[in-house]
Amino acid sequence: MSPALQKLLRQAKPDAAEIDTLLRDTSFPLVDGTDVTFVYRGDVDAVFLRCWIAGLDTAQPFQAVANTDLWATTIELPKGSRIEYKFEVVSGEHKELILDPLNGVIAHDPFGANSVCQGYGYKRPEWSEYNPLSREGSLQHRQLDSAALQSTRDVQVYLPATYRDNRRYPLLVVHDGDDYLRYADLKAVLDNLTHRLEIPPLIAALVQSPDRLNEYSGNDQHAQFIAGELLPFMSAEYPLLDKREARCLMGASFGGVASLHAAWRYPDHFGSLLLQSGSFAFSDIGRHNRGPAFDPVVRFMNEFREQPERPAERIFISCGMYESLIYENRSLVPHLQAKGVEVRFEEARDAHNWENWRDRLRIGLSWLMPGPAWQVYE
Amino acid sequence: MNDNKNEPWRILLGPQRPQVNLDAAIAKSGIGDAPIAVISAAWQEAEGDIGDIQRLVANPLHDLGIYNRAEKIFTADEALQAAYRQRQDQLIEQQRMYRLRLRQLTIAAREILRVEGNTAAVAEERRHAISQLRALDRHHLRQTRKIAARFAEQFSIESNPLLADHVAALKKELAGCDTVLITGGHVVVLLNRLSLFGFDSLLVNKNIIGWSAGAMVLSDRIVLFHDRLPQGRRDPEVMCEGLGIVPDTVLLPDASGRWRHNDPVRSSLFSRRFSPATCLTIDNGSLLRMQGGKVTDSEGIQHVTREGKFALVNTL
Repeated sequence: MSPALQKLLRQAKPDAAEIDTLLRDTSFPLVDGTDVTFVYRGDVDAVFLRCWIAGLDTAQPFQAVANTDLWATTIELPKGSRIEYKFEVVSGEHKELILDPLNGVIAHDPFGANSVCQGYGYKRPEWSEYNPLSREGSLQHRQLDSAALQSTRDVQVYLPATYRDNRRYPLLVVHDGDDYLRYADLKAVLDNLTHRLEIPPLIAALVQSPDRLNEYSGNDQHAQFIAGELLPFMSAEYPLLDKREARCLMGASFGGVASLHAAWRYPDHFGSLLLQSGSFAFSDIGRHNRGPAFDPVVRFMNEFREQPERPAERIFISCGMYESLIYENRSLVPHLQAKGVEVRFEEARDAHNWENWRDRLRIGLSWLMPGPAWQVYE
Repeated sequence: MNDNKNEPWRILLGPQRPQVNLDAAIAKSGIGDAPIAVISAAWQEAEGDIGDIQRLVANPLHDLGIYNRAEKIFTADEALQAAYRQRQDQLIEQQRMYRLRLRQLTIAAREILRVEGNTAAVAEERRHAISQLRALDRHHLRQTRKIAARFAEQFSIESNPLLADHVAALKKELAGCDTVLITGGHVVVLLNRLSLFGFDSLLVNKNIIGWSAGAMVLSDRIVLFHDRLPQGRRDPEVMCEGLGIVPDTVLLPDASGRWRHNDPVRSSLFSRRFSPATCLTIDNGSLLRMQGGKVTDSEGIQHVTREGKFALVNTL
């Protein structure tokens, strides 16, 4: 806890003006090495820290600071951690989940937003932020009629800044592509990594599902869409390197399942996979306890674990240590290695969220699709 | 530094950032204000953007534009472009297979070099492990040479009027310049373009200043290296033959930035693998001048010793 806050709390009756000054001049939460103190100010009955971290209590209670309207709680957060959280504020019968009013660092996702605690040693990677020196690629909006999915699908196509018709490019297919753009800054990441020569200039096909819990759960129609419709469409419309090694399929969470499933169903189509916090639930015996949405996932994963084959030559897997899926992701690695797949597995002190996935993109993409830095001697 | 020998000289420089020594090198070269032909194909789309160089020197500069010449030829001659792509695909596949074998041999050689003791048996195993690497490198060079030769047979300069026209134009431009400057950048792109236009013979009688990639292409063997990639270090790979204008050298531009100096076993393996070629670092601010096969000036250039140390190169 910060010395200023400790001093304040030791006072029998802290002055309201002093509290105002402290709150105005201090960054929250207070990060003091591995100790992180969250503070809430308000006339309420109870406050809880909600951070959905596997291993911690779902709701961590705050303590009221005597003779003030301050509430505080301290947790231990290992070096390099990054967590997303909300405050649950209770007044009488009323409970409300709110962002931390004292913390302006916020992460967005399809369900809204969370406050972000950047623990000791965590720093947002510079390559994930917009860099005016990086030449910007462009996005094209295309549509594809899918017989497999019996609907018309939007596809956003990323073209690198140096795109030319007479070149040939590797292809990256991205599940939840709109979300990757919006919440994981995928376009800035691709622009920056290309500029830094860490990935080659590439074309990315970004797909988004209106029914991802169904289509991304090990669904054969979706696999047919990706391998049998999207790939031919992209090959016909764009100058692609026409070989398996030059095609990578990626996704996070259920998108990871969809990627693994499509590559498993069509093993000659993708040379590499980038799987982030894949929802790879399985059951060794009996029923799983993750809810009905996971039923098809578990059916696929159980089948996959029986017969993993070789869905791709190289697979990058990342997962947050603070998510419950870490067990499933860790256990996938030896299954793939036993089939001769070259696997790289990265764990991060983060949870199941888009900024975790953003922060792992550099190491994953540059490993699967190495850029020309190796061949450039300025 | 100017001397009276008739042989053309070669000046090799490191990266031109943060410190620039190109202007000093040209000033010392003795060419006065004579025009210089520039090859900036390694910059790809930015080829010809030589304003920064022109601001450094008074000599008139003429960019030969070989990157864009090749682009125009590919656009006009689809058969040539298709054959060129096929050649590139074959080279990439060859590199991939070479890499698969290289990885295992490199691990083995490194481990054997780390084995303690200096018995005759250990020494023999070390020699053999290194000789296997050298054999693989030689094999890879043979294979890349074959692929290049097949393409050259199909599309020789003489048999392709468009290519021949460009080569004739390049010869005309070069006739007015005794000195050629080759910039750093993408070494593979640069070498491919130089090879397409037959620059091995076009450059041989010119004074040449090359920095980084522009220096590497002059050697007889291009060795790619980088220990500080985001995914970690990568074992050095022979890519293909260079122009052979600066023979018996392996050039390591920006070695202080790209090479991990804290592993003498790895550096020793590198040196012994490419022996009898001399492995030379060309860092920012350094300069190597050669003439008639001899080093006539050396500033900040180091060679990698058999023991894996980096020692300054003395002028001969």
